[in-house]
Amino acid sequence: MLFKDQVDFVSQHIKKNKLRVFMTVLAATMGCAFLIVLASIGFGIQDTMRKEILEDQAITEVEVYTNNGEALDISQIRTVEHVNAIVHRTSMDIMAVSQLGERSLEGNMLLTNFAEEEKSNLQLSEGRMPTKENEIVVGYQFAENLLTDAERKEMEQSTEEDAEPIGGYKESLIGKTISMSMQSYEMDEAFPEKWDFTIVGVTEKPARDWFVDTNMLVDESWKDKFQEVYEANTGNENPDLFYSSTKIYTSSLEHVKSVTEELKEMGYSVYSVSEQLEQLDVFFMAFKIGLIFVGTIAVLIASIGIFNTMTMAVTERTREIGVMKAIGASPKLIQRLFLMESAWIGIIGTVLAVIISYAVSFLANWILPMVVGAALGEDEFQDLSMTFSLIPWQLVVIASVISISVAMISGWRPARKATKIDVIQALRQEL
Amino acid sequence: MIQIQNVNHTFLIGKKGKEKKVPVLKELSFEVEKGEIVAIVGKSGSGKSTLLHTIAGFMSPEQGSIIVNGQETVHLNETERAKFRLNNFGFIFQNFQLMPGLTAFENIELPLKLKGIAHKKRKTSVQLLLKKVGLEDVADHYPNELSGGQQQRVSIARALITNPPILFADEPTGSLDSETEQDILLLIQDLNQTMGVTFVIITHDEEVANIAHRKFRMRDGVLVKGDANNVI
Ligand SMILES: Nc1ncnc2c1ncn2[C@@H]1O[C@H](COP(=O)(O)OP(=O)(O)OP(=O)(O)O)[C@@H](O)[C@H]1O
Ligand SMILES: [Mg+2]
Repeated sequence: MLFKDQVDFVSQHIKKNKLRVFMTVLAATMGCAFLIVLASIGFGIQDTMRKEILEDQAITEVEVYTNNGEALDISQIRTVEHVNAIVHRTSMDIMAVSQLGERSLEGNMLLTNFAEEEKSNLQLSEGRMPTKENEIVVGYQFAENLLTDAERKEMEQSTEEDAEPIGGYKESLIGKTISMSMQSYEMDEAFPEKWDFTIVGVTEKPARDWFVDTNMLVDESWKDKFQEVYEANTGNENPDLFYSSTKIYTSSLEHVKSVTEELKEMGYSVYSVSEQLEQLDVFFMAFKIGLIFVGTIAVLIASIGIFNTMTMAVTERTREIGVMKAIGASPKLIQRLFLMESAWIGIIGTVLAVIISYAVSFLANWILPMVVGAALGEDEFQDLSMTFSLIPWQLVVIASVISISVAMISGWRPARKATKIDVIQALRQEL
Repeated sequence: MIQIQNVNHTFLIGKKGKEKKVPVLKELSFEVEKGEIVAIVGKSGSGKSTLLHTIAGFMSPEQGSIIVNGQETVHLNETERAKFRLNNFGFIFQNFQLMPGLTAFENIELPLKLKGIAHKKRKTSVQLLLKKVGLEDVADHYPNELSGGQQQRVSIARALITNPPILFADEPTGSLDSETEQDILLLIQDLNQTMGVTFVIITHDEEVANIAHRKFRMRDGVLVKGDANNVI
């Protein structure tokens, strides 16, 4: 029998039992759509978290530590392919008090190498990178936290949590010279030594909204001088005054993984986006498999309907099948015709389910943020772009394979039954 | 054309454990020549249909050999038998056995579809045959829109459409009035003469048996030559 004729034959039978087939397709559609929508939540949340990770930090950044507190072998790290910059920032266990006119700020000082910072693509919102020893870069919120004593008092009294910063320095800091002194956490007064630094750059706004950057970046050549002053004022040689973190910047995101692996092989502890993403992927792989498993149960329930429909179809057509066999239809053909019918139910059900799932997913992503936003208070949710449901093509493929194979498996037994029909018995049936 | 040798078949009847053995075919042997009409008559329950079913391959006899067109059919499997039937046999049943969901045209077309013949070729063959059996006007009718005689003509056309060398008919006029019966018998004779089709007809109607070149009577599981009036 030609394939086209087989299709005609099957569609003729389907047309004859429109309502029954429709109900069965409906059940298959609901099962498959449930599977897709359920799993899409897993894909959606993963996507949201992935985006958050990638947004939150410099994505080409790889943090390295030695396991035993020893110094890193920078020259060895430099040999790793695709390493673009090695930024070695040293912070001090001490407050840096900056003074600009009557305004002041107690912040953190980070010693760094500006040449490497530049290679690592340190972004500035204003100004340029320092070229001289006494030029510095300050954090994005440095200006707004430069407060007068009166402003500071007002700030401390205000009880409101999210109050707008009061006062602060309103003009551009570029070109301004601040006077900096150091103050130990244990002492009330700053050390008498003062240095003048010229601000030439301001860093970019931190990716995380809640992060307040009031650091000042100073050239690392100052390190020895600061240590001398510290020792002279406190009288103790504090070995823990400096602590440093080393961040490696790769040339692009795709190399993060290879650099991470290579550094690990060298025996370092490494932390990077790729590590984080990998952990995330492992977790979500399990999560998504779980969701697909639960969704498959719905597909299996729908398959009971397909089994019933096909069994009924075979029983109803016993005489016709007998005649077909008598005039020369092979058992294989009979089986194929019935399998095609159940496959058809599965395929139409799946196609409808995919369309419906995309619609549901679209609506969920549109309406849910509004609902959640209203519940949590507008502001907090406004710029949180969240995907609740995502249907990648892989999910469509997985769901289609599951639901069409389940449909064909449930049509298998009825189709087998059709091939076993005895011609003589079938022909005896009353019309 | 058909050689049947020493065919035996016994049915087991009744409840499990207390089955009764009913021998239906006993050492049955006979032959059908090419181009003849053979009639098999006999009492109800004498095993006429069973004999036809074994020749047609709807069932296997317990013993014996059935050779059709030089091919031993007893040991063929289901698929091979289906193919063999499609290429060698046509069937005419007492109650027509048409597909209720198909028109007269489509019913006749069905065996050609099974053979995998393309639509265009099918159309011309069916139209030709429709004319021959006198059904051009009702080609689009469904079986329940046709008279008994018309249905049997459709069923004969369906049996003939693949040009099989042998046609089996089990009580072909059993459901028809005598006038229609005459029409059908004339058609059978015509087809036999013009197309050389071999017919094996099972009947208990003497009128039907009279168109046969040879008559056999089924008795006690064997075939004996002759008719109701001429029992040997
Ligand atoms: N499937 C079966 N199982 C058991 N016994 C059967 C079966 N088919 C037929 N028989 C028995 O075989 C015998 C012959 O039946 P068959 O149908 O061949 O008779 P028949 O000559 O065609 O009769 P009729 O003229 O009434 O059609 C009967 O006794 C019947 O009871
Ligand atoms: Mg009979």
